[in-house]
Amino acid sequence: MRLIHYTNPQALSVAPSAGLGGRLQLGDIEDQIDWLFGSALTGFAGAGRGGQFPVDIFEDKDNTYVRAELPGVNRDAIGVEMVEGSLFIQASRKERTGDAESSVSFNRLVGIPDDVQADKVTAAYENGILTVTLPKKEEAKPKKITVSVS
Amino acid sequence: MSLLNTLIPSRRGAMTKDDGEAHPVSRPLFEIDETDAGYGVTVYLPGVAKDGLEITDEGDELRITGRRASKMPGGLTALHRESSDADYELVLTHDSTVDTGKIGAELKDGILRLALAKAESAKPRKISVS
Repeated sequence: MRLIHYTNPQALSVAPSAGLGGRLQLGDIEDQIDWLFGSALTGFAGAGRGGQFPVDIFEDKDNTYVRAELPGVNRDAIGVEMVEGSLFIQASRKERTGDAESSVSFNRLVGIPDDVQADKVTAAYENGILTVTLPKKEEAKPKKITVSVS
Repeated sequence: MSLLNTLIPSRRGAMTKDDGEAHPVSRPLFEIDETDAGYGVTVYLPGVAKDGLEITDEGDELRITGRRASKMPGGLTALHRESSDADYELVLTHDSTVDTGKIGAELKDGILRLALAKAESAKPRKISVS
């Protein structure tokens, strides 16, 4: 049974995000509590205020895709690092309020499946959305096994 | 707050497009900056490209509609979703405090910046005492 967990970024739900048999965890319990506090204090969990931004994870048979909503960040300031089993995304955006210029930075650690070809990971940033494509290892792809019955 | 009296966003639920179906919309996050000469509106529209963006001014309503260009194509399984596929719609009401002939708009990397000039009558006027 596949479990897809939908989170409404504007609702304050206390339910922790569900792992898929331990394969995918969106940070551990401390990260989730930090995220809840961040969204409670700022009220804008989705916009990136306070360093938070929504992340989606998709997959097809060849790749896993991680998509982050990061409008208006500087392309050169986007950093994507892969540590074992997790993807670390950081970005920063310059903001001008009146005459002052300040910088807001975002970062987030996202749990990803282990079966990734680390050297073939690519990322693209378009229209404010960062998409990281993680190709699956050959042995992780679904394969048809023909069984002959004698 | 003078801002509340001028640009007031109104709430909408689902909007109906021409095909008769109700499409869910979500209101994007936005900020308004006021100066003596006008307003600067910053709307966060991640995933919207220039061809998916529509800005219309009708009467005293400024309506911003954005269609997400980055909906995931079919064939992909979602493992974890935090964003929604709903289109964006933002309606701002102004009562003739904005000079609608001069609206500048720029969309870059999912952020739309609008420059709205205040109508002459809304600008602060100095009254000299004789």
